[in-house]
Amino acid sequence: MFSTELVIQTAISGVMIGVLYALMALGITFIYSIMRMVNWAMGEFYMIGSYLQYMLVAWALGPDLWWLAVLISTAGVFVLGLVVQWGLIKPIFKKPPELRDDYATVVTLALLLFLRSVATGLAGPNQFTPGSNLPMVMIGPMPMAGARVAAFLFALAALGIFWAVLRYTWHGLALRAASQSRVGVQTAGIDVLSVDRIAFGIGVALAGLAGALLAPVFLVYPTNGLITTVKGFEIVVIGGLGSIPGALIAGVLLGLMESFGAAFVDSAYQNIYGFILVIAILVLRPTGLFGERGREA
Amino acid sequence: MRKFGILLAAGLVAASVAAQAQDIGIGLDIPLSAPGDASGGQLIRRGAEIGIDTVNAAGGVLGKKLKLFVTDSQSTPQLGVANYRRLVSEDKVVAVTGMFHSSVAIAINEVAKEMGVPTLAVQASASDITAKHYDIAFRTHAVDPVRVAAWMEFIKKKGFKRVSIMAETTDYGIGLTDETIAQNKSGNFGIEIQKITFDNKATDFSAQLLQVKAFKPDLVLNIAVGTPVDLIMDQATTIGLLPTVPMLISYDAPTRPQYWQLHAKNGEGIYFIAYYSPKAPLSDIGKTFAATYKEKYKEDPVYGALNGFGGVMIITEALKAAGNTDPKALIKALETGTFKSWPDAPVTFPRADGVYWHNWVPPVLIVQYTKPNQDWKEADVVVTYSKK
Amino acid sequence: MAAALEAIALNKRFNSLQASNNVSLEVEQGEIRGLIGPNGAGKTTLVNLVTGVYKADSGEVKLAGESLRGCDMHEIARRGLVRSFQVTRLFGSLTVAENLRTAFLARRPKDGTDGEARIAQMLDLTKLRPLADTQAKKLSGGQRALLQMGCGFMVPGSCYVLDEPFSGINPVIKDAIIDMILEVNKLYGATFLIVSHEMTIVRRLCPKVTVMMEGKVAAHGSLDEVARLPEVIAGYLGKALE
Repeated sequence: MFSTELVIQTAISGVMIGVLYALMALGITFIYSIMRMVNWAMGEFYMIGSYLQYMLVAWALGPDLWWLAVLISTAGVFVLGLVVQWGLIKPIFKKPPELRDDYATVVTLALLLFLRSVATGLAGPNQFTPGSNLPMVMIGPMPMAGARVAAFLFALAALGIFWAVLRYTWHGLALRAASQSRVGVQTAGIDVLSVDRIAFGIGVALAGLAGALLAPVFLVYPTNGLITTVKGFEIVVIGGLGSIPGALIAGVLLGLMESFGAAFVDSAYQNIYGFILVIAILVLRPTGLFGERGREA
Repeated sequence: MRKFGILLAAGLVAASVAAQAQDIGIGLDIPLSAPGDASGGQLIRRGAEIGIDTVNAAGGVLGKKLKLFVTDSQSTPQLGVANYRRLVSEDKVVAVTGMFHSSVAIAINEVAKEMGVPTLAVQASASDITAKHYDIAFRTHAVDPVRVAAWMEFIKKKGFKRVSIMAETTDYGIGLTDETIAQNKSGNFGIEIQKITFDNKATDFSAQLLQVKAFKPDLVLNIAVGTPVDLIMDQATTIGLLPTVPMLISYDAPTRPQYWQLHAKNGEGIYFIAYYSPKAPLSDIGKTFAATYKEKYKEDPVYGALNGFGGVMIITEALKAAGNTDPKALIKALETGTFKSWPDAPVTFPRADGVYWHNWVPPVLIVQYTKPNQDWKEADVVVTYSKK
Repeated sequence: MAAALEAIALNKRFNSLQASNNVSLEVEQGEIRGLIGPNGAGKTTLVNLVTGVYKADSGEVKLAGESLRGCDMHEIARRGLVRSFQVTRLFGSLTVAENLRTAFLARRPKDGTDGEARIAQMLDLTKLRPLADTQAKKLSGGQRALLQMGCGFMVPGSCYVLDEPFSGINPVIKDAIIDMILEVNKLYGATFLIVSHEMTIVRRLCPKVTVMMEGKVAAHGSLDEVARLPEVIAGYLGKALE
């Protein structure tokens, strides 16, 4: 049972899924770090990304242009994020700061229910799949669905681009600065609400990207973002709020933990191993692996 | 967008307002969203709605119209129980039918035995739903032992020696797994069984399937309900388990319209349990129903829809026999009467032994898709098993 | 020529407290004005009203003759009215150079350059060049104060409002900040409004001061003039200055 081959296969499958979970976590942590609010409707943006991917592949572009569909779906979710920020989130930030959290929670939870109902209403409760023509790929000793490998590579590339934009561009600098001090960036003449808009758009676009990439793997239905969102929140706690390397490393760690737990301990509790890790982190290092202890307001 | 939200909220409120006093309410608790099998729930709902329309078109029952109250259990027992309570205390329904996920049905029956309004489970198969011999518990579905007996016969016929069970950690999954292990022992089948369980809220089963692959089974039993059925199929294909190793799906999920959309490449060769084949004769009301259904939904009805329809029709006939809507009278009528459902066979709910208490069992089939995009009605019938 | 910064009859009430009571103030182009008064006199409220952190109940602020009515904080900053805070507002996990670069962001569209020359100039002025790649949160309090001033001067300012730039800072850094203020004033003809309790520094920097007491402007004039006024001695200084 404990063959080397099985160990290697389990490790590969853990790392691959972990990177995709990390995308979702990054979206959550990114929005939080700038806007100091949790977007509870993250999973619904994942869901919308997956539906867009399905519609584009099934009705317009065909499975061979899946990569183009992924780009368009992600862009679509980004634009939707801008609209949602403008229509629903921005008005909250005109209220006194002490109420923002509560309003943001209520508004994003309502958005969650609304988007799910819309999806169920328009497309029904059934599952769809955009399908994939990508051939099976051998990774070491393990055959892997091409769609999963492609999703993994795409996610890695997206994480790289995201990091480079933050590190090397003017917009990245503004975003990083806003995550440090909202008043500070305004003093420097930067419109913090427009920074919010970009941040919200990028954050939900990461979720949409995960949804589009995973559409052929985990299928498309109204509540398909739920599990990924839960994983995303677990990773945020493990990796530390606001930390990009934290999200990636914690994502891979969670993927491995679940994969090995399911393979070698008891597969019935797959979704619980992540929580065990979360609790261990909360006890040993409450700020997460890479979280920062203090921040300036 | 906010305006839309207000409209939506108003709609929900309006929908939840209780029926007019002159209607007789029937509750329908089914999964309509994940992690429940939303498609399965939807099919039962279609059948039940046509049942209600059929009765009302013929003048209703006891001089009143029937009204259906639909609730969504999402496969969550607590939610199912809350739904049952609301249906009984607010909507004043005379019976609650539907019930797809076994855990939900079992939980509901625990409350129902106190509140007294009978339940008629149409597609939940765990033994405990009827084996507890509650007065209020009725069922028109294949129970675990019958289903397991069917696939043990199938395994024997095919000469399989090693079987991997991928089972969800619900009453349904564990119940079927334990029953399989028990029958393997009591029937001296001598099959080596690998038991792998998983949480039905999971989406990635790679780790479990890698273990299955390492076991080198002759058959994989896919005992999941809803989306995980499809995810397991796809992910088994991903790691090269399918189509090399045959897979048997524990219920008729592959008869759904979206099956071939989801499994264009790996749907061929799959075995699955079915409860209905067009070769079996329909009753007169069954035939009328099939025609109505085809006209309305542009496809043939499947078992879930047929049984959803049957549930409403059986309750209606029992109401007529009882002459009033008192739950005790309704239960008495169900126990003593003979009813008509979609198959051309009488339906009865005797106080029989064990799991067969209040339980009418349709025949169980094991069928196989032999071609891509095959109509489920064309699928090969490999085994037909009737309770002896 | 219009005054560099003009406050006209500003009123602001917080519940029962009239924090700003009909406050008017005019600072000339290139002037370094001191703003003094006891704690709770409304100095910081005035700064917040002028820089858009608070919206005034009534009254108006003009920058070089143009009204700032309806402008958000960042728009006021973009127009060249730059402020510092009593508590430093730096970007802790960004480096010194990145802090300066962030402050340059708003200027960039107009300027059309990448600002590196100005960042270099500011690293020299603040003497923080050796720490350019150090995270701001690792600086000492004085170094932070210097960096904050540097960030302020990165913004295309014509008028700087400094809230207690010298509090809690060692004398060497104080001198460095004083030098920076004088240098920027001389180089760019920039206008300053400086809130401070440190009378020796105020005397050194500010030819004219404004005294505030109980939300009102109590007096304008040179420090020595106002220090002789009995109401200022009674309400603020306690005794005549040396």
